[in-house]
Amino acid sequence: MIALTRQEIFESACNQSVIHANDIADDMTNAHSEHALKMLMLLSLDGDEAAYRRLLGTLRTLLVGYYGGRIGTAAKSDTEDLVQETLLALHARRATYDRERPFTAWFFSIARYKLIDHHRKHGGRYKSEMELNEEIEGDFREDAIAARMDVERLLNGLPQHQQELIRQVKLEGQSVADTASRTGQSESAVKVGVHRGIKALAARLRGGT
Amino acid sequence: MRETEDVIDILVRDLQPVPRHALERRFVLAVLPALAVSLLLMLVVVGLRTDMAQALTLPVFWIKSGYNALLAIAAFAAVYRLSRPDGSEGHFFGIGAAIVLALAAMAVIQLALSPASSYPVLVLGSSALHCPLLILAFAMPILIANTWVLRGAAPSKLGVTGFIAGIAAGASGAWVYSWFCTENGLPFVVLWYSLGILLTGAIGALFSRRLLRW
Repeated sequence: MIALTRQEIFESACNQSVIHANDIADDMTNAHSEHALKMLMLLSLDGDEAAYRRLLGTLRTLLVGYYGGRIGTAAKSDTEDLVQETLLALHARRATYDRERPFTAWFFSIARYKLIDHHRKHGGRYKSEMELNEEIEGDFREDAIAARMDVERLLNGLPQHQQELIRQVKLEGQSVADTASRTGQSESAVKVGVHRGIKALAARLRGGT
Repeated sequence: MRETEDVIDILVRDLQPVPRHALERRFVLAVLPALAVSLLLMLVVVGLRTDMAQALTLPVFWIKSGYNALLAIAAFAAVYRLSRPDGSEGHFFGIGAAIVLALAAMAVIQLALSPASSYPVLVLGSSALHCPLLILAFAMPILIANTWVLRGAAPSKLGVTGFIAGIAAGASGAWVYSWFCTENGLPFVVLWYSLGILLTGAIGALFSRRLLRW
């Protein structure tokens, strides 16, 4: 029942972009994507407790990985402390999130600030700061997110079935055979679909429209 | 692990909707009253400049006023961006330098057009020593307001944020002060006003770690 209403909320929240139900379902399983997290954050800002609980749970998992790999030999309780402190900071300062900007960039800025603060408290200040300045937040850097959004925008101009094929074969890296059996098409149909889609994308890029 | 679950429970139970533009509202609700306090302080303690009616017709009065206002606006815009954890000061330092240089150029022109005998009045005036300190005093309500807002926000570059918050307060204080100050020399403004503004910025930077940490 709750899942159903949440699905509805997601759909209404997403309807400005050309994203259909399958993508939303994908996003919900792939709950770490910028898109899914941002949706949850927007719902949370409007007071949706279920979305907020889901958001905090997901972020907690992300943070355990983020801090675990960065405070090295420190005790596991340190990681847990940092995770809690970061979630508390997110809660207290959630008004500083700009709804127009990527959520993960905002969130990992808080995580990074808390990490630097942690290192500062435990000495090692300059080293950690230098390392962190060099550091790349992988998928969550703003330009990486922007690049992904560009790809999505381009894809949105294609017919639905081509979008889906390119997403599965080219972006998610699934095999042609798997995609064929999942979509109920022949392998050659999948290959042709992907090929035509890529050609259409290339034409769009060249034409600049 | 158990504990984090509890933290999440508490946070979810505490969830209140956040209105759009909550951060902007917080800035406006803090800074405008502080500016009013500062203006009131100026009116009560020193009063408007005695030749006000005449001054309003002088270009230098408006250049002086515009200089402070522009610096304040640029600094407030930067502080607003810096109050978010993923924000940066943008081009503030470039814009600020350009504003100061523009006034410096006008000051040089003013000197070139004036007889050498008037240089002491144009550069030192009659209030060079207490001008920066009065600017600092009129800046304090605004610096306090800025600090209050930032303590509830999430700046991640504390030093720069404190400094620019000080510049914003200093330039606002200087703007308030310019309604009292009778100096008409632009060299005076570019030297002594800027000193007062920088002084406020230094104070903002000095206390940033202690006051803005979260």
